[in-house]
Amino acid sequence: MGSEQIIFYFLSFWLIASSLAMIFSRNAAKAVLFLVLSFFSVASIWILLEAEFLAITLILVYVGAVMVLFLFVIKMLNIDKSTLRAKFAGYLPLGLIVALIIIAEMMLVLGNAQFGLDVMPAPARHGADYSNITELALQLYTTYVYPFELAAVLLLIAIIAAITLVHKKEINRKQQSISEQVNVRAKDRIRIVSITSPSKENK
Amino acid sequence: MNNMYTFDTSTLWAALPEIFLLSAIVVVLLLDLFLTKPFKQATYYLTQISLFITGVMAFNLIDQPQTIIFSGSFILDNMASVFKVFMIGSTMVAMVYTRHYLIQHALFRGEYFVLVLLSVLGMMVMVSGYSLLTLYLGLEILSLSLYTLIAIARERAGAVEAALKYFVLGAIASGLLLYGMSMIYGISGSINITDIANFAANADLASRETLILNFGLVFLVIGIAFKLGAVPFHMWVPDVYQGAPTSVTLFLSTVPKVAAVAMLVRILVDGLGAMHAYWADLFMVLAVLSIALGSVVALMQTNIKRLLAYSTISHVGFIMLGFVTGVISGYGAAVFYVFVYILMSLAAFGIVILLNKKGFEADQISDFKGLSKHSPWFALMMLVVMLSMAGVPPFIGFYAKFFILQQVISAGFVTLAVVAVVFAVISAYYYLQIIKSMYFEESDKDITIVAPMDMQLVLSINAVLILVVGIFPDFWIKLSLSLF
Amino acid sequence: MLENYLPIVVFIMLGLGFGAGPMLIGYLLGPSKPDEEKNSQFECGFPAFDDSRMYFNVRYYLVAILFILFDLEVAFVFPWAVVQSQLGWFGFIAISIFLFLLVVGFIFEWKHGALEWE
Repeated sequence: MGSEQIIFYFLSFWLIASSLAMIFSRNAAKAVLFLVLSFFSVASIWILLEAEFLAITLILVYVGAVMVLFLFVIKMLNIDKSTLRAKFAGYLPLGLIVALIIIAEMMLVLGNAQFGLDVMPAPARHGADYSNITELALQLYTTYVYPFELAAVLLLIAIIAAITLVHKKEINRKQQSISEQVNVRAKDRIRIVSITSPSKENK
Repeated sequence: MNNMYTFDTSTLWAALPEIFLLSAIVVVLLLDLFLTKPFKQATYYLTQISLFITGVMAFNLIDQPQTIIFSGSFILDNMASVFKVFMIGSTMVAMVYTRHYLIQHALFRGEYFVLVLLSVLGMMVMVSGYSLLTLYLGLEILSLSLYTLIAIARERAGAVEAALKYFVLGAIASGLLLYGMSMIYGISGSINITDIANFAANADLASRETLILNFGLVFLVIGIAFKLGAVPFHMWVPDVYQGAPTSVTLFLSTVPKVAAVAMLVRILVDGLGAMHAYWADLFMVLAVLSIALGSVVALMQTNIKRLLAYSTISHVGFIMLGFVTGVISGYGAAVFYVFVYILMSLAAFGIVILLNKKGFEADQISDFKGLSKHSPWFALMMLVVMLSMAGVPPFIGFYAKFFILQQVISAGFVTLAVVAVVFAVISAYYYLQIIKSMYFEESDKDITIVAPMDMQLVLSINAVLILVVGIFPDFWIKLSLSLF
Repeated sequence: MLENYLPIVVFIMLGLGFGAGPMLIGYLLGPSKPDEEKNSQFECGFPAFDDSRMYFNVRYYLVAILFILFDLEVAFVFPWAVVQSQLGWFGFIAISIFLFLLVVGFIFEWKHGALEWE
């Protein structure tokens, strides 16, 4: 067993362990942290596969941003744990049966007979001068330029959707208008009213 | 080095409708931001004009030779062009109905129209998608817009709940679809439909290739069945139809079905046509369950949107039956059924919207009580739609069902056809119930129609078409058959 | 290829050692006689009187999600920057369209007032 394999099994172990811990942890915040750990393990495995850019993107975008958003939502939702668990127990038998069937199918289909190294040989290793990001970019902006632009449309929709659903347009806040302040004249502010003093007349 | 990647701009004409629509979306979005309150209606007219021009562009591309551009991820063929024209036309009709609803319920916002345009763009991408990636991206553009459209009435708890349910289940379905796609890619080594079709055609039946293709296929079928709303992946349909604002339900239940069928054709017929024997079995189960459940459960509904949701499920079952046959005439029958279904669904939801007034959401069957007294014309229109949905000749719904059953029988599935007919007869009961409450019951409410003339006119044309096309269906049938 | 990561692994190990080592030594060698007073919260760490979950304004969420969208945008721009000399004008136009759509989103955001805090 080469060093690469040892690293792979080490990372895979942490991936599976943290994923299981994520599913079984009762506390949603802890589940998010376990998910972070499994993202780290996946990113490390991707580095093993020479996909460095994707690995770093996974950590920057998912661990750095999306998971923080998850924590936000979990803190915001105030989930009542006991009711969740009551429903969970009710669905458990059915869920277990479905899960077992799917696992059995996957083991049958995705085993060594179909994806083993003898039927699908491992890709050749690249030298130290190989740049994953260059290879990716040369494909992304040429062959896949159409999906790439569609991704921009998708991001645009996400912006519109987030603002449409969350933001209220009626603005009630008090604002400072600098141009009005600068252009103001004394006569706009002060009104001089001539009042004849009543006390003098009386005397 | 600089000229290593040049792009043949002379092929861009094939994607002209999409390019124009995207530009129009940007204009509408920005213009709406700068419009002041009294001119907000301009967004609506601009939307309609954009749709119309896009539709004309798509119409001009009909009968062009098949063109595949963007490295095989975009296809222009007759099916794409005809579907696009049809989708845009139905969206324009839906928008006419929508405007009345939005004004009555104070939901008129520029973003609504932008999101509709974006979802149309997503559907056009799906219809023209010729790689798994573009199909998926188109689907996501469509879905994200729809989730937002449902939740746009965020003060209504029902709408938010519907959006959330749709979003969570839609995300699961997208996940399953992606998993299936990854399996297909893993074994065939390509995401282009052309390459996948070649691979599937040459795959040895007992080989590991077929096994993996089959495994991926199951997930793809589940994903597509979810988007179509076929049983047992229908759970979201009634809740979303009921919870969403009626104008969104109208849109959701019509145009996206065309796109879903297009995706089905691209992946399963164009891509995995060689695997037809495998997916036809799955479709058979889905179709029978959908027809049965859609027909029986609808009997117990009191909410008209929920009732129409179950009716949609049963229609989807019929559409899937067409794909079970595995012959071109069967696929043509299914596409014809989609056209017919959309024509009927637009009219049905249009009439539901017609009854809406400020502060009054007409969504119960009892709201139709005594409609024949107050508005005999629209009661007649509803009668036409309901009879057509039930499959009574000479209305168009009859021909759609007849054409499908004919194909199913000639493909040798006689039992299947008998089951479908039995449930179609059962479903006639609830359509008749609506007719009964319109004509033979007294209203306890005041039904006055406040909808503008343009909506009344379009709605009347829409309903009359159901009768006219029903009498002369030849053109549409020929058109549907010519797409394959 | 993989052996190029050896310095990084050594760096991580050293970093972990420097962080964990002194704490471990302190824990093992230092005297430890806890009592109730020592274990109780000190000064600012007053006893928790509320659940850590609380409702806060959905506005924070809006800012967070808008940040993520532009974060993703940058992730798309990075690879382009690496190969832009090889891609030439075609790549430039491709990324320009991409950025244009995001800028339209940004204008929408700005004009809608989503970036302002009430």
